[in-house]
Amino acid sequence: MRGGILWQKRKPLTTRNISSLVIDSLCDQGGEENIAVAAFYCDFLSQQEQTVNHIVGAILKQLVGRGDISKGLREAFEKAKREVGGRGPRLADLMGMLRTTIASLPKVFICIDALDECLPKCLPELLESLRDIVRECPSTRIFLTGRPHITEDIERYFTKAVVIPISPNTDDIRNYVKMRLDRDAEPEAMTDGLRADIVRVILERISDM
Amino acid sequence: MAQTSYSVSIGDRNIHSGNIIGSFNNTFNNSAEDAQIMRWLSPLEPNNRHHAVRNDRFDDVGDWLLETGELREWRGGEGAADKAVLFCSGNPGVGKTYLR
Repeated sequence: MRGGILWQKRKPLTTRNISSLVIDSLCDQGGEENIAVAAFYCDFLSQQEQTVNHIVGAILKQLVGRGDISKGLREAFEKAKREVGGRGPRLADLMGMLRTTIASLPKVFICIDALDECLPKCLPELLESLRDIVRECPSTRIFLTGRPHITEDIERYFTKAVVIPISPNTDDIRNYVKMRLDRDAEPEAMTDGLRADIVRVILERISDM
Repeated sequence: MAQTSYSVSIGDRNIHSGNIIGSFNNTFNNSAEDAQIMRWLSPLEPNNRHHAVRNDRFDDVGDWLLETGELREWRGGEGAADKAVLFCSGNPGVGKTYLR
């Protein structure tokens, strides 16, 4: 069931596609059973603001947003507000609040898409935070996607992680690149040789990912 | 950023939560504070992102993945911390992200 099966009707099944599918499916289930789902999409274009604190905070606030804000959380906020200029919560604070929140919920799913798109310096800290959550709240389930090169990073923190490879179909990528080249705004700058090189290099790069 | 929609939904929940006694004004103040707390936890709004990704999704593709043994086992697993993590490795999209 690997590789080509992931493609139907010439439409690509990408990890981002999968993430949103899994998230929606879990949310649908959540409507019937008592489960909570928190999702996060990492993005190259938002790297600077997607710090570990902000990501963990974003997961926390989705779980918190399901019910009433706890007294402890409210107090932590009031305390931070009183400090000069106010300050954002520290990672340790966020992790404490996340643990408490998860413990109050029957079952929690955390989904993070495109982990490799967060800042490289953030990845170890983020994975460490997730590992701590799993250790302390064993009913938590974590769904991750990312380019294959971070598989080792993930296995370093989660030795028994189940890895499902999703391969792209090169024919579709070739067609897509050719379509983009046909629509190029400066066709006079293109030669047959350059065109062939562009298609070849992009396909090579993609198969390396 | 479309933070307003998130704040509104939090406010709605609070109005119905029954933990606020007092005038309509009090309710309003409290949900405004709730929104403030949410922003303090993180300025990011992943819900908006999810809606955007979902709208972009290819329909009728990948449903079978939800039925695979790996996914079902991960999803249904009870209390086994070593089976907590499922990782799908691959490319996030064909073109959109890195073929700009």
